[in-house]
Amino acid sequence: MQVVTRKKRPLGKRVAHAIRQDIGAWVLMLPSLIIFTFFVWQPLVNGLILSLYETKGFDPVRFVGLKNFLDVISESSFQSAVANTFKYTLWSLVLGFPLPILTAVMLNEVKRLKGFFRFTVYFPSIVPGVAAAIMWELIYHPTSGLLNSVLALFGANAVPWLQSQNLVIPCIVIMMTWKGFGSTAILYLASLQGVNQELYEAAMIDGAGVFRKFWNITLPSISGMFSLMLVMQIISVFQVMYEPLTMTDGGPNNASISLMLTSYFYGFRFYQAGRAAAVGTITFLFLIGLTVLYFHLQKKNDS
Amino acid sequence: MSEMIQSKFDRKKDAQSMGIISKYDMRNPWIKILYGFIWFCMILAVLVCFIPPLWVMTSALKDSREFFSVPATIIPRSWHPEKLWDTWNMLNFGKAYLNTLSVLCGSLVVSLVCNGMLGYVLSRLKPRGSKIVLSLVLWTLMLPQSVSQVPLFKNFLSLPILGINITETYLPMWLLAGANAFYVLVFKSFFDSIPQSLIEAARLDGCNNLSIFFRIMMPLSKPVLMVITIFTINASWSDFFWPYLVLGSRTELYTVMVKIFYMAGSTGYSEDIQVVALIFTIIPPAILFLFFQRYIMSGFTLSGIKG
Repeated sequence: MQVVTRKKRPLGKRVAHAIRQDIGAWVLMLPSLIIFTFFVWQPLVNGLILSLYETKGFDPVRFVGLKNFLDVISESSFQSAVANTFKYTLWSLVLGFPLPILTAVMLNEVKRLKGFFRFTVYFPSIVPGVAAAIMWELIYHPTSGLLNSVLALFGANAVPWLQSQNLVIPCIVIMMTWKGFGSTAILYLASLQGVNQELYEAAMIDGAGVFRKFWNITLPSISGMFSLMLVMQIISVFQVMYEPLTMTDGGPNNASISLMLTSYFYGFRFYQAGRAAAVGTITFLFLIGLTVLYFHLQKKNDS
Repeated sequence: MSEMIQSKFDRKKDAQSMGIISKYDMRNPWIKILYGFIWFCMILAVLVCFIPPLWVMTSALKDSREFFSVPATIIPRSWHPEKLWDTWNMLNFGKAYLNTLSVLCGSLVVSLVCNGMLGYVLSRLKPRGSKIVLSLVLWTLMLPQSVSQVPLFKNFLSLPILGINITETYLPMWLLAGANAFYVLVFKSFFDSIPQSLIEAARLDGCNNLSIFFRIMMPLSKPVLMVITIFTINASWSDFFWPYLVLGSRTELYTVMVKIFYMAGSTGYSEDIQVVALIFTIIPPAILFLFFQRYIMSGFTLSGIKG
């Protein structure tokens, strides 16, 4: 409205004014934008392009179309990496998705020592990733590990946890869940504490029991987060790398190798950058597809 | 402002938020059993969270003979805290701590200045075209980083435009700290909560954008600066992948994480020494967390992930 009543200045002056107003803001953004451009966005685009090239060292030599992809897909280590990555994701959803929700709801119920419980639950999250991986490696150790020592107390035989092809992925996922469930639980808890207390009081006056309140107030108040947390968890677990790298180096017999670890091996052990980028691109496209699907469904839900 | 941020997890609020089970419900014996069960689960959670690190730490201080006995003792019989000091000296951990400290300080400065300024512009100044930047940043948060490893490493080998090799220095880690989409959004949502009238008043008094940022926003932003400081410290303390790749064979530059990774991989160190080294990696973040718990928790609420 104000613009209409104001007398229009000549165009040149208006543009100059606009530039002067905005230029300071852009200068403030500049350092961060430069870093984002060269260390986040450009490498991403470059990686996608690199996957279509034959490479020597880290440099593209010749455009080869989809050859890298076809080469990679025909390799057995890639095939087991795909299967394993889905196994990681599935296990981590089974173990790691409900656990933070349950923890948050229970954490919200205890009347005493709440701060202490919150601290303990979050504690594993502050243990550095590599340290946690090494720690659990020692716990899973076939001869001197904690788990087998406890089993020995009950007279059971020692289990080769990380050396067994069937157990290695669940074992790594248990470590990841141990490390990650606390911080997710705290996120849910923050949401739970934002629930209007009057709702519970009103429900009580109406004679609702505990389960009724849980089902009709608590759960709906955090259920909006479920889909987002699910997508975030899938995205992060799908890119699992340093846990198997530290704990098993992809073994035994590629039983714990993941897509990102394959990409890392191609890139920095075999120096086949094109193939590394191809594996990265496959992972990328899958996750982008998932994210787009999520936003699409979200939009549908809203409207 | 700071109270507003911190109050989410204050003790007072804890008392107010009574959850599902009210005093009235507790008269029902079944609910009492349920409440007992919840307590049981929480104690179980405490055990699960604390026993692995505790066991590892106590077994680190066993004497070597007990450490390698099969089956391992669950509660240690011997107790040798002097092993801590011996290992520290033998592995020259002081040097690794100093290295990590320099990675950390540089990252911290870059992280606060770059992400802070970007968050500020996106929240407050909003110049033409900033919407595009915001959506790019938002997408970066969701985008997997899976493709960019190799090209990013290539950029470190030869910086774009400048063509300088910055591997075998700490610069890559410092620079990477300046492009964190999550921190940008935390800053933005904090700045969004500062009343516009304050800025207008400052502008009337003759402040320009830069001085508004440094003289009005920064002093007001102590809580969010604390949150990002702690997040950055924790992240660079735990950061392993890029230091590991970038530092290559320059052992004298190794950070704590790279050092213990190599120790775990090599056969040159006996296992009980590795375990003692683990203690050194867990203690600093644990202390940090103990003192700044409140800020870390409030960081989660600031990140704006809500139902």
